[in-house]
Amino acid sequence: MRLIEDPELDRFRAECRDWLEDHVPKGPRPPEGLALREYDLAWQRTQYEGGWAGVSWPEEYGGRGLSVLEQLIWHEEYARAGAPPSASMFVALSHAGPTIIVQGSDEQKTKYLPAILKGDENWCQGFSEPGAGSDLASLKTRGVVDGDCLVVTGTKIWTSYAEGANRQELLVRTNPEEPRHRGLTWIVCDMDLPGIDIRPITAMSGVTHFAQVFYDEVRIPLTNVVGEINKGWAIAMTTLGFERGTGTIAHQIELANGVERLIEAARETTDPATNRTLIADDAVAAKLAGLRAEVMALRSLTIASVSRGMREEVPGAEGNIPALYFGELTRRVNGAALEIFGCSALVRDGEHNWPLHYLESFKWAIGGGTSEIRRNVIGERVLDLPRGPRAI
Amino acid sequence: MSRDMIIDLHPTDEQQMIADSIGGMLADLLPVDRLREESGHGGARERAMWSDIAELGIFGMGVPEADGGAGYGLPEEVIAARELGRVLASPSLLAQIAAVHLAEGEDRTALIAGETRAAFAAPGLGGDLFLYDGEGAGWIVLLDSGASLHRTDAFEWADAHAMDETLGISRTSPSPAPVTRHAIADQISLLISAALSGLAQSATDLAVDYAKQREQFGQPIGSFQAIKHSLADMRVRADAADSQARVAAVSFGLGGNDTSEVAAARWLAGNAAIKNAKASIQVHGGMGFTAECDAHLFLKRAHLLAGLGSSRRAEERRLIA
Repeated sequence: MRLIEDPELDRFRAECRDWLEDHVPKGPRPPEGLALREYDLAWQRTQYEGGWAGVSWPEEYGGRGLSVLEQLIWHEEYARAGAPPSASMFVALSHAGPTIIVQGSDEQKTKYLPAILKGDENWCQGFSEPGAGSDLASLKTRGVVDGDCLVVTGTKIWTSYAEGANRQELLVRTNPEEPRHRGLTWIVCDMDLPGIDIRPITAMSGVTHFAQVFYDEVRIPLTNVVGEINKGWAIAMTTLGFERGTGTIAHQIELANGVERLIEAARETTDPATNRTLIADDAVAAKLAGLRAEVMALRSLTIASVSRGMREEVPGAEGNIPALYFGELTRRVNGAALEIFGCSALVRDGEHNWPLHYLESFKWAIGGGTSEIRRNVIGERVLDLPRGPRAI
Repeated sequence: MSRDMIIDLHPTDEQQMIADSIGGMLADLLPVDRLREESGHGGARERAMWSDIAELGIFGMGVPEADGGAGYGLPEEVIAARELGRVLASPSLLAQIAAVHLAEGEDRTALIAGETRAAFAAPGLGGDLFLYDGEGAGWIVLLDSGASLHRTDAFEWADAHAMDETLGISRTSPSPAPVTRHAIADQISLLISAALSGLAQSATDLAVDYAKQREQFGQPIGSFQAIKHSLADMRVRADAADSQARVAAVSFGLGGNDTSEVAAARWLAGNAAIKNAKASIQVHGGMGFTAECDAHLFLKRAHLLAGLGSSRRAEERRLIA
């Protein structure tokens, strides 16, 4: 429990801030599809050319080779500068990349990591299936070894930014004799291989950024396996652990900004029933005060999580605590806009587009592990409670 | 905290040593079950060991060594307060730490050494002023909108009967006019927040232990999701309160908005302590409703500490000011 004081870090922060101020794209960002992918890759390229891609990634693969503290500072300044969310680069930067750094072979690192940082390639995820959501280990998409290839047949779902993605982190069942998590393999699938069919899914917000992906005897070279055949579960758990890493700092700061926008709007808006501002209503003020306390708690939980991250190579189960808090709080913050501003918050063409944020906020308590699954993990792996009834 | 700060929330080796030594001593000397039979005298054991606690350096922890203290700062006081909260120690131990910051000269030296004692007092409604576990205390730390130090015998006290029957309380009227809030009031509120977050954590521990042992339908109730999820939420609330108290402590006085950080810590800790105490009673089922189970002790103390010179409304006003 101490303040880290280091003039080097202060200098680094100033450099981040200056560079971001000059380079963050100002124009409108395409909401979805290939145009969004192009936009995100171009912005990644700009960051690479400026020397800001992969702050904590190894230097030999194009990163800066700095510590988690510089990575933290970068994410903080990134969010404060209003830089675009990582979106179609998220899986590459926060999932697949960190997983390959820890678990990949030298050849795989050379092949995949620089292409991510340079903005040449983006990745998508292939974990969930229609029949395997919370129960991920029950997944059925088959991978059969045939010569020097793994032949994949089946389907994956909730794959964000599948359209146009170059590569996919894919989890398949390679040994159907072994139960559940023991027969799985984590493999890199090139998305332009024959036999892959992508069908977009539109979310309740109206945004189409995920898809169902179908595989019909897709032949993937065995050299693409990360780790070993049938040892993919441990790799996948590494991947999901990174999902809760320093990358969430940007989300946390954005949520805090969201609460400040609510407070500002409540100060500026007059309630026609009382002819006073909305913030003058005690119930509104109390609600917003509570949300402000909770976003401060989220920030502090994130700091606690980063403090743990300085001491462990691979994130532990405690990472579910800020993740659960974030998912639940995001829904409450975005729901508060509708409670406070009533029918004025129900139009999509307003200054804030509250409906879009409200409808999108539901995904944070579902995607990457539902709140219920996170509570199970906290219960069983943090509190050491006995496991509940489930298949073996 | 201000936006450019980088904080490591992991305890330093020295801080871990402080937590371990205080926590270890309190677990031995002040087990929570001591409170089962001590109706109205819950502070008795603390009073008996007052000088031992003083020797440990807890009271003068945040005072410079040149002034007879241990030379630590607010983060170490927060660590100590958290441990005190975990075992439901009398709030008068926190009051003593607070009094040390408000007293001067010889009065302060005597408080650091534990030769004189302090207790908290806080105004209620309608001009009432309540004194908590004030037996033998020469000083009161009065928490209103600010914090001030008074002689206990400057008031005429009458005994009252608290919901938390493990502590003696007294009442007087009228309460003096509130003083202006200053940094020490925020620091004291932060120590109370830390105690509440410790309470929220030990209420979780109590319920988790019970859920591992208690069997129904042929298995430990902690294996059922309804119970498991309630326990996970308890842990999350306790962690949120603890992390916020730590951040507020490390960043205090360094240019951020201290009042707001502390108000958030207090709001979160009060919320966590009361909700966790309630959830613990529910997890304990029928036993949780009895006097012989410790669960209710946490609830009563949580309400008492949460309302000490504060309220949810008061913290919300500070947060939105």
